[in-house]
Amino acid sequence: MYTRTILVKDTGSGTEDKTREVYTKLLDLLRTDKLEDQVQVVRVADIGFYNKGVVIKVLPENTLYVDVKEGDLARLVQATVKEDKPVEGLAQKKEPKQIRIVLRNCGRINPESIEEYIGQDGYRALTKVLLELNPEKVIEEMKKSGLRGRGGAGYPTWMKWKFTRQVAADQKFVICNADEGDPGAYMDRSVLESDPHSVIEGLIIAAYAIGASKGYFYIRAEYPLAVERIKKALAQAYEYGLLGKSILGTDFSFDIDIRLGAGAFVCGEETALIASIEGKRGTPRPRPPYPSVKGLWDKPTAINNVETLANVPYIFLKGADAFARVGTQTSKGTKVFALTGKVRNSGLVEVPMGITLREIVYDIGGGTVSGKNVKAVQTGGPSGGVIPREFLDTPVDYENLQKLGSIMGSGGMIVMDEDDCMVDIAKFYLGFCVDESCGKCAPCRIGGFQMLGVLARIAEGKGKADDPAILKRISFAMQKASLCGLGQGSPNPVLSTLKYFTSEYKEHIENKKCPAGKCVDLLNYSIIQEKCKRCSVCFTNCPVKAIEGNREEGYKILLDKCVKCERCFEVCKFKAIARK
Amino acid sequence: MEKLTPEKLERLSRTSKHKAKNWIRVGMSTCGIAAGAGEVYAAFVEEARKRNLQVEVQKCGCLGMCYAEPLVEVNVEGAPQVVYGKVTKEIAVKILEKHVVSKMLVNDYIFTMET
Ligand SMILES: Cc1cc2nc3c(=O)[nH]c(=O)nc-3n(C[C@H](O)[C@H](O)[C@H](O)COP(=O)(O)O)c2cc1C
Repeated sequence: MYTRTILVKDTGSGTEDKTREVYTKLLDLLRTDKLEDQVQVVRVADIGFYNKGVVIKVLPENTLYVDVKEGDLARLVQATVKEDKPVEGLAQKKEPKQIRIVLRNCGRINPESIEEYIGQDGYRALTKVLLELNPEKVIEEMKKSGLRGRGGAGYPTWMKWKFTRQVAADQKFVICNADEGDPGAYMDRSVLESDPHSVIEGLIIAAYAIGASKGYFYIRAEYPLAVERIKKALAQAYEYGLLGKSILGTDFSFDIDIRLGAGAFVCGEETALIASIEGKRGTPRPRPPYPSVKGLWDKPTAINNVETLANVPYIFLKGADAFARVGTQTSKGTKVFALTGKVRNSGLVEVPMGITLREIVYDIGGGTVSGKNVKAVQTGGPSGGVIPREFLDTPVDYENLQKLGSIMGSGGMIVMDEDDCMVDIAKFYLGFCVDESCGKCAPCRIGGFQMLGVLARIAEGKGKADDPAILKRISFAMQKASLCGLGQGSPNPVLSTLKYFTSEYKEHIENKKCPAGKCVDLLNYSIIQEKCKRCSVCFTNCPVKAIEGNREEGYKILLDKCVKCERCFEVCKFKAIARK
Repeated sequence: MEKLTPEKLERLSRTSKHKAKNWIRVGMSTCGIAAGAGEVYAAFVEEARKRNLQVEVQKCGCLGMCYAEPLVEVNVEGAPQVVYGKVTKEIAVKILEKHVVSKMLVNDYIFTMET
């Protein structure tokens, strides 16, 4: 049996991958010393570092070496294996960038087994709450924790609970908002699918705190696996008496039901969500009155996001202070982001509040897939904004992102590189909001449509000099006069791109050019004769016969026939098609 | 099933801790399933049975590294606990034969997690 394992990976930006070379070298060294039966060397696919040269990790000590040179290998084997100590001056310490609070059980337990959740101290927070704390004390603890809503607005959870508790009523409700409609965001789905009981436990604690007797999961029907797992988990909780009458033998009783959403983005907004549960058309209504005063069936109702609730058991298990130790002054705990777009490692990351965007994108995400520069990072989905490269060192919390013209939002984080056009991005997000606008209020219904028209003409090369001013004016009206967050927030992607990428808009409007090469109407294709090898691949692949010529005389693209499908651009092996 | 009291919950918590020494966990959330985790899970179950291996094959949720799905975490006595990514049916067999049986980690498929 091996006593040690050496993991190797070349993470360098160098031209060739040296992993195999180092691997063989290490094997040779071990063989010379007759250590090959004691130490195994393994090539790994990803060692958690990027652009740091050859990285070596020695197990079980977990010592780490970055930027290892060939000359260091002998010394490394000598020290770590023969002398049983780290190589002086070479060993690195790495503080983990990710902290797992919300995702504490995700991928670690079988989500369909309540026993496994209980084995991880599941429902122990509930026991503590029911036996040791009265509702006021629960709210007090929540205040100490500093937890703020993860559904978008960042409203302090304890205040929401307190207000709902304060109102006298014969019945109260709690709702878990699992509508998750932001493009690119899927944190909530993953938590529901991977650790459903933590959300249920959070919801029961919320119900106890505000005095609710009934709760609902509002889940979009496009999440069938999440629905199935929540259903199973609820049935298990009922069987164990963790839901229903006299929970855990106490006099607290509480029931939970599931309601499915049909996938309208606006139904994630709390008042529209309530209307939807009531069986009405899912449209928002003016607030106040807030749901905490007049919610579901006009009863006081606390609505919380999936991730917010998944934090709750942790707070009571480990203590509010332990939770509040993570994060910044105003934003406590962690945030889960769905890191997507042009980033190399797309997936879910859970990071302490206050981490910088750069750390998320480069240290965790591994930079861009293309190796090109990051142009901007989009946060907050369709109500958020783009944050340009210059601000990548901004610590992520509610206030900082807002200052930059974006928002924390629910956790979508989309990385954009130099091939992304900011006019196109603005058009995409606004187009989403126009599609999803419920039409109830005029600013959102008409304003969004008009703005989209302006953006479309800019992208087509028909923009006018005062278009940016028009966009800003309509944005202002929408922000001030829309009925709900959808209309109020939808101008944000437009405004933030206008603010940070003014010259890119100008380039589209004045010079009819798209610098990123995205807006098809502004691009023309031609053959670079010096690079063309006359292989005829473009000629045979053009679906509309817009390329003429032959192998002797060369080829030419006929612009009046070209439909800009980019087929020639894609098939040319010699990069001989120019796109300008 | 018996309704829990605080005492019974406590007891259940103690007896429900992971007992298996050797286990393989396959990530079976939407991201994993979309990448082929169902097939990989079935391969592990089937091939482990064929070889009569003392290893528990379990389903779990998402570890977060969606770019490397299907993800499989392996813990067997005598070898470090690691996560394999982009696992296929063929790699599953390799993991069983090399890692589980011979305690040798499989090259080129390990994704190390920081936490
Ligand atoms: C258009 C729109 C869509 C929303 N979608 C969601 C959603 O999908 N999930 C969510 O939790 N909150 C969503 N919200 C925010 C909710 O209205 C509400 O603030 C949130 O559920 C409160 O929970 P929290 O305090 O735990 O964040 C949305 C808001 C708007 C305006």
